[in-house]
Amino acid sequence: MGQSVLILFAIFVPILFGVCILAKPGFKTRKSLIATATVGLVVTTILSFAILYIGDMQLELFAIGENMNIYFHADKMGCIFMTIVTIVLPLVGIYAFEYMGHYEQEQRFFGFYLMVYGVLLALSYAGNIVTFYLFYEMMSIFSMPLVFHFRTKEAVMAGLKYLFYSLTGAYCVLFGIYFLNQYTTTLDFTAGGTLDMSKVAGNEGLLLIVAMCMIVGFGVKAGMIPLHAWLPNAHPIAPAPASAALSSIIVKMGVFGVMRVVYYLFGAEFLRGTWVQYTWITLTLITVFLGSMLAYREKVFKKRLAYSTVSQVSYILFGMALLHPQALTGSLLHILFHAVIKSALFMSAGAIIYKCGVERVDEMRGIGKKMPKIMWCYTLCSLALIGIPPASGFISKWYLATGSLATELPVISWLGPVILLISALLTAGYLLPIAIDGFFPGPEFDYANLEKKDPTKQMLVPIMILAALAVLLGVFPNSFVDYMGELVQLLF
Amino acid sequence: MNQYWILVAILLPIVGGISVRFLPYKKTWEMYVFLEAIMITTSLIVWGLILGGPTEVFHVVHFFNDLSISFKIDGMTMVFAGLVSILWPLATLYGFEYMEQHDRQETFFMFYSIAYGVTLGIAFASDMLSMYFFYELLTLSTVPLVMHTLKREAILASRKYLYYSLGGAAFALMGMVFLMVYGDTLEFTLGGVLSADKVVGHENMLLWIYLFAFLGFGVKAAIFPVSEWLPTAGVAPTPVTALLHAVAVVKAGVFAIIRLTYYSFGTEFLRGSWVQNVVMALAMFTAVYGCSRAVKESHIKRRLAYSTVSNLSYIIFGVTIMTPMGLVGALCHLVCHAVMKICSFMCAGAFMHQTGKKYVFDMDGLGWKMPIVFCTLTLSGMGLMGVPGLAGFVSKWNLAAAAVDSKNPMAYFGVVCLLISALLTAIYMISIAMRAFFPPWGFDREAIAGSTDPGWKMCLPIMLCALFTILLGLFSSPLVDFFRDVAAGIY
Repeated sequence: MGQSVLILFAIFVPILFGVCILAKPGFKTRKSLIATATVGLVVTTILSFAILYIGDMQLELFAIGENMNIYFHADKMGCIFMTIVTIVLPLVGIYAFEYMGHYEQEQRFFGFYLMVYGVLLALSYAGNIVTFYLFYEMMSIFSMPLVFHFRTKEAVMAGLKYLFYSLTGAYCVLFGIYFLNQYTTTLDFTAGGTLDMSKVAGNEGLLLIVAMCMIVGFGVKAGMIPLHAWLPNAHPIAPAPASAALSSIIVKMGVFGVMRVVYYLFGAEFLRGTWVQYTWITLTLITVFLGSMLAYREKVFKKRLAYSTVSQVSYILFGMALLHPQALTGSLLHILFHAVIKSALFMSAGAIIYKCGVERVDEMRGIGKKMPKIMWCYTLCSLALIGIPPASGFISKWYLATGSLATELPVISWLGPVILLISALLTAGYLLPIAIDGFFPGPEFDYANLEKKDPTKQMLVPIMILAALAVLLGVFPNSFVDYMGELVQLLF
Repeated sequence: MNQYWILVAILLPIVGGISVRFLPYKKTWEMYVFLEAIMITTSLIVWGLILGGPTEVFHVVHFFNDLSISFKIDGMTMVFAGLVSILWPLATLYGFEYMEQHDRQETFFMFYSIAYGVTLGIAFASDMLSMYFFYELLTLSTVPLVMHTLKREAILASRKYLYYSLGGAAFALMGMVFLMVYGDTLEFTLGGVLSADKVVGHENMLLWIYLFAFLGFGVKAAIFPVSEWLPTAGVAPTPVTALLHAVAVVKAGVFAIIRLTYYSFGTEFLRGSWVQNVVMALAMFTAVYGCSRAVKESHIKRRLAYSTVSNLSYIIFGVTIMTPMGLVGALCHLVCHAVMKICSFMCAGAFMHQTGKKYVFDMDGLGWKMPIVFCTLTLSGMGLMGVPGLAGFVSKWNLAAAAVDSKNPMAYFGVVCLLISALLTAIYMISIAMRAFFPPWGFDREAIAGSTDPGWKMCLPIMLCALFTILLGLFSSPLVDFFRDVAAGIY
């Protein structure tokens, strides 16, 4: 125990705060609600930074049953995800304090938001697949009320769709866990895999099916084709802060699940060169391309961003599927960068909806004149997502592309980078026109009635911080690249 | 000496129940106290017996040859008797409040109490004949409970229940006769009683007989094609549906199937034969079939009844794996499902009792008016779905572990069926919680204005069952270890 109790605190403080906020019949003033939520966010953030600082701690709680331990281990991989969660969620929370003021039932929103925060941290610390699965299901359940917060019929249907897709994925994963329980030495995540080769011998075919099942299962959360359809429904319908958290963090937990299964349970060696790897790569490439295509023709701003998430998250999965150190480094970097960029993009979309009430791209002409600060952040983030040097997206895509070329897989080694490039072009095609039309609305634009509509600092500052990060992480990537390089060495 | 207590445990609720009709009461609460005292005393005796460990066979009545009514305590007895003896007093307490508005309470509680004794009889029976005797008695003593309201639909339902059960029992009787001829003894012995020399040459016929007997006992366990009586019997008052049609009666069917498979025919004889594939396929099909019917059903109790149909087949699936681990999984789900399902039925009953409504679409917004009931209903729903940390996860884990361990490809497919039906379970249980807690804007607030949580007599059992669901989900090891010992024949 000792210091590792911190893990428990980091998980249960936000969950407790969330439960208290939900259970309290009503706060006297809005201020007291905000204050409570702030305290919850800040305390959790401090706790998780403390864990990050101490590093590598373990905590074994108790066993539900044989082989079913509740076990936390903040290893290097977990720390990456924890960092992302602790950077993005508090900033989005601050933004939400202002944003949610316009809508009813914000108490419920913040209650569930804090609970999701705790659950996400728990997922990052989970030390074996059972614990991971436990919190994975909790994440699906607790984040659902964020999706259907507005409770229109459409929102409720989207929420249910989200839940049932997630559960389908989770059950695919569970199917795999049942088999892994039989064929591994331990269910604890161990770099390099834990398959018990003496038992596996003769059953490789079965285990490959199981591996595919688990990849597709976690792929549901990551928006991987064929089970991506929930994402473009659920993300845009949620309030903007929730969409930001969903699109930047929660989808990453699907990625994280795949990471844990492939690199920490099966081991990269087991899957290399099998049909699973090829199918997986094909699925991700299709998703990368189709996601960008769909985003390109989508006119509703938030939906466009949601499709963009579908495409970008599959960049990450593509890098992982190559089973190559350099590509994996690219994936890890893209996880971080995409989380920062996409949350900033969704928050700026939210700011535009909040202040100007426009949701469609074609209504946004001249938006740069009305909200210059927001649009500057938006433009920076777009450039970073497209991958224009020196912004962050460039670095990760560089690693992904060189990694792909370095593998000696037939066709894929060059087809991959080509598709990434095409998709980058499409990304430019769906993100930049908004900025161009926004800043240069053309002579017909009605300059007379122009009023500055930039939101208050509370909404602006989080977006600015994230936009700055999106650029700066690309300019000074070395420490991250080194850290991830070390981590990747362990996995191969 | 110990063994006479078995008789006491069985007879006390029967005699006590009958005397309810004849004792002079001034107030109803006196009857309640009397009944509850009987239930608790019986349960204490049962637990005393269980903790005392296994016993030798104890013959009560001897007919001829080796036919007798006799009792013993072994591992299976401990599981089943232990389970019902915890749930019966709770369900009775719940029944007191639920039945307040009903007429003819004495009759109701008389049969309710008798059924307890009879169920214990099934648990303690040491051979096929004794079990069969109590099995028939259970049908007879619960028919009046199903038709308690004496409405037309109740009478029709009870008739259906009676015909199905008696028909099933006839098939089971056939199995018993063949066991008598081809077995060494009728007494339950782990590993089977078939006599190797008598069986030679008749294997295929015996497999057919097993199939018939399986289907016969399968009536009470509500296996497809003979499951229809269970949703129909949901017209009974909720204490009956909750306890008898989610635990005692249906689990008696499952219990009988376990006795038949593991303790009479023996898994050595059955494993790998065509009949194993047939019964496993039936169980798998029923698991998915029950759930998909439940999704379509909007009457809350019928929905839960279909859910029971599906979950019972999980247990039977575990049984049909026909390995010791399969038995562990089956027992685990037998206990976990009992706790979760009685909890959800009690919540559904509380909803019906407090609002007078029956349908899922009447639940809009009630979650905030009846927080205890709907929180526990959601909890037990999640348990049924198999959310980790709750009882359902543990039992499904054990079932799946057994299926994977058996190396039987069909059982792998069974795991897929379990998960499909878990997804369907999520659909029909989560949609209830959604309606209750997050109704669409503009729902009818007037309609639920006066609804509140029920009194302590209903809330206490509900909350205890919810507590069991959580405890079983978090600390299952001792229980599972015990089941392992049972399956290994240590008890």
